[in-house]
Amino acid sequence: MFLAAGDIQVGNETLGVTGFLLLATALFVLGAIGVLIRRNPLVMLICIELMLNAVNLTLVAFARQLNNLEGQLFALMTMTVAAAEAVVGLAILVDIFRVRAVDDVDELSELRG
Amino acid sequence: MTGQLAAILILVLPALGGIFLGGFNWRGPRLLTQLIGPGVVWLAFLVVLWLFFSGTTGDYTYWTWIRSGGFSVPFNLHVDHLSVFMCLVITGVGGLIVTYAVGYMDHETDGSYARFFCYMDVFVLSMLLLVLAGNVVFLIMGWAGVGLSSYLLIGFYYWRRTAVVAARKAFVMNVIGDVGMILAGFVLFVTYHQITYSGLFGALGKSDSWQLELAGFLLLVGGIAKSAQLPLHTWLPDAMEGPTPVSALIHAATMVTAGVYLVARFSPLYNVATGAHASVAIVGAVSALFAATVALVQTDIKRVLAYSTMSQIGYMFLAVGVGAYSAGMFHLLSHAFFKALLFMAAGNVIHALADEQDMRRYGGLWKDMRTTSITFLVGSLSLAGIIPFVGFFSKESVLGEAFSSGTALGYSVWAIGFVTAVLTAFYTGRMWWFAFVRPAAPYRPAEHPHEAAPVMLVPVAILAVLATFGGALQTSALGGWHLVSDFLKPVVGEAATQTSALELAVTTLTLLLAIAAFLLARQFWLTGAWSAEGWRRRLPAVTALLEHKYYFDEIYDAVFVRGMDTAAHDSERFLEAPLIDGAVRGVGSAAESSASGLSMTQSGLLRSYLLVFLGGAVVAAALVLYTYSRLVG
Repeated sequence: MFLAAGDIQVGNETLGVTGFLLLATALFVLGAIGVLIRRNPLVMLICIELMLNAVNLTLVAFARQLNNLEGQLFALMTMTVAAAEAVVGLAILVDIFRVRAVDDVDELSELRG
Repeated sequence: MTGQLAAILILVLPALGGIFLGGFNWRGPRLLTQLIGPGVVWLAFLVVLWLFFSGTTGDYTYWTWIRSGGFSVPFNLHVDHLSVFMCLVITGVGGLIVTYAVGYMDHETDGSYARFFCYMDVFVLSMLLLVLAGNVVFLIMGWAGVGLSSYLLIGFYYWRRTAVVAARKAFVMNVIGDVGMILAGFVLFVTYHQITYSGLFGALGKSDSWQLELAGFLLLVGGIAKSAQLPLHTWLPDAMEGPTPVSALIHAATMVTAGVYLVARFSPLYNVATGAHASVAIVGAVSALFAATVALVQTDIKRVLAYSTMSQIGYMFLAVGVGAYSAGMFHLLSHAFFKALLFMAAGNVIHALADEQDMRRYGGLWKDMRTTSITFLVGSLSLAGIIPFVGFFSKESVLGEAFSSGTALGYSVWAIGFVTAVLTAFYTGRMWWFAFVRPAAPYRPAEHPHEAAPVMLVPVAILAVLATFGGALQTSALGGWHLVSDFLKPVVGEAATQTSALELAVTTLTLLLAIAAFLLARQFWLTGAWSAEGWRRRLPAVTALLEHKYYFDEIYDAVFVRGMDTAAHDSERFLEAPLIDGAVRGVGSAAESSASGLSMTQSGLLRSYLLVFLGGAVVAAALVLYTYSRLVG
C-alpha cells in the first residue's frame, strides 16, 4: 500500500488499518454511486453523508494508527460541517418543494445554458 | 459711432434676425416675420450708408480666433471702398428683394414663411461676412456660408424632388470651389506666412512665381464654382428651382458675383500672377458667349434669365481679367439692379400665372400686367445694353476697357464680348416679344392675370428707376464722368478712363447692332415675318446642341455621377461586403459559436455536474498521489 502499515489496538485485539480503509473505500464508492445514479434529492443528500462518513472513518483510523488526535478532531469538524450542510441542503429542498413538488433532480434543470 | 462698431454691427444685425426667426422654431407670428426679415437688412443698409457717407475705412481686429504657435487667425473686418461698395449692393438690393419676398412668399404656411426669411437673413449675414472679412480664413467661412444658404434656399420646397436634387447639385459644385479656395489659402500661407489681407498683400512682392500662379488658379476655381462659369456652371440653371426672390438675390444680384469680388479683392495678387489673371478673362469671355448661345433656345423664363446671369458674370470676369476692376464692379452693380429687376418682374408674372415658368404658355402680359411689363422692359433694355439704361454704360465700359487695353488678350475677349452683346440683345428681345407682347397663348394658365400687390411692385419699381438712371454713375463709355472708378480707385487702382474716338465708334456699332438684334427678335417671335421654326428645322444639329446646353449635364452625368455610382457599387460588392462586413461578422459568429459550444456544459443537470466534479477529484487525487510517489520513491 501507499502508507506505512501499522496496527491498531482495539482492547486486546490488534486490527490492521487496511480493513478500515477498505471499509471506508467501499462506503465512499457506494455513496458516490448513489449520488450519481439516484434521482431523489433526499437520497442524494443521504449518500453525500455516507461519503463524508467514509472520509471520517479513514481520518479516525489513521489517527488511531499514528497516535495523533488531530485526525479525530478533524472528524468532529467534518461532522459539524456535515450537519450544517444537511441543514442548508434540506432547507433548499423544502423551498424547492414548496414551489413545485419534484422528486427527480433531473427535472430541476432550468439553469441550462 | 466708430468704424469698428459699425463694421461688426453690419454683421450682427442680420445674424440677430436669423437667430430670432429660427429661434421661434418657425412659429413666430407672421407680422413679426414680415418686420424682422427685411427689417434687419434695411438696418444693416443704414449702417452701410453711414460708412459710405462718413468715408470710414480701416482694418478692425476684434479678437484672436485661433492662436497656435506661430499661426494666429484674428477676427478682423476689412472696411475699404471695395467692401463698402459690395455691402451697399448686398444690403440695398438685398433689402428690396427681401421686402419683395414678403409679398411673393405670401402663399406659404407660417412655418415656411419664417423659415424662408431666416434663411434669407443667414444668407445676407454670410455674404456680408464674405465681403467684410479681413483675412482668408473668414473669407472662406463666408464663402462656405453663402453656399450653405444657397443650398437651403434652392431646396426650400423640399417636398419637390427636383428642388432637392438641384440643391444637392449646387452644393456639390460649390464645395469643389470651396476646396479650391481652401487650397489657395494653404498655398498663400505656406509661401508668405500671412493670413490677413493687409499682411498678405504687403508680402506679395513684384515678381511672379509658381506659388502665386497656383494660388491664383485655385482662387479662380473657387470663383468659377461660385459664379457659375465654365465648366462648373451647370448648377445655376437648376438652382432656379428655388423661389424667385432667391433667384433674384442669390443667383443674380449677390452670391454669384462673389467670384468677381474675389478677383477684385485679390487684385494685388492677380496683377502679379499674369497667367492666372489672363485665364480669368478667358474663362469669363468663353462663359459669356457660351451662356448667351444657350439662352437663345431656352423656354423656361427663369432659365433664360439664369443663362443671361452666367453670361453677364462672364462679362465681369472678362473685365477683372483684363485688369479693368472698376468696370467689372460697375457691371456687377448694374447687373444687380437690372437682373434683380428682371427676376422680380418675372416673379410677378409667375405669381400671377399659377407658377407657370414656360414662356410658350405666356403672352398677352403687356395688356394684362402693364406695370410689371414696363419694369420688365426696362430690365430687358438694360440687359440688352441699350442707351440710356444702366446696362449700356456698364457693359460698354467693360468692352471699352478690354478694347483699349491694346493686348492680344484684350482684343480677343473684346471680340467675344462683342458677339455676346449682340446675342444678348437677341435673346432678351425674344423673351420680351415672345412672353410679354405676343397675344395670350390659348392655354395660358390664368384667364385674367392680376397685377402684383404693392409690396411686390414697389421694390420692382425702385429697381426699375435705378436701372434707368443708374448709368449716370459712370458715363465714361461715352466719355463722361466715372464716379464708380473714382470710388474704387484706392483699392483696385487707377482705371483707364480715356475714351478714344475708335472706342466710341465701336461702342456706337455695338449699340446699333444690339438695337437691331432686339428688333430682329420681334420679326421672329412676334410678327412671325421670319420663322424661328424654319431655322430649327434647317439646323437640327445646332438646335439640339443648344437645347441640350452643349451636353454638359449629360457628360457630367456619364463621367462623374455614374462613375462614382459604379465605383461605390463595386467597392460595396468587392471591398465592403467581403472584407469589412466579413471581418465584423466573423468576430461576431466566432463569439457566437464558441458561446454555444460552451453553453453545452451548462446542462442544468445536477448529476452531470457531480460526475464531472467527481471525475475532476479523481484526476486531482491521482495527480497528487503520482507526484508524491515520485518524490518519495
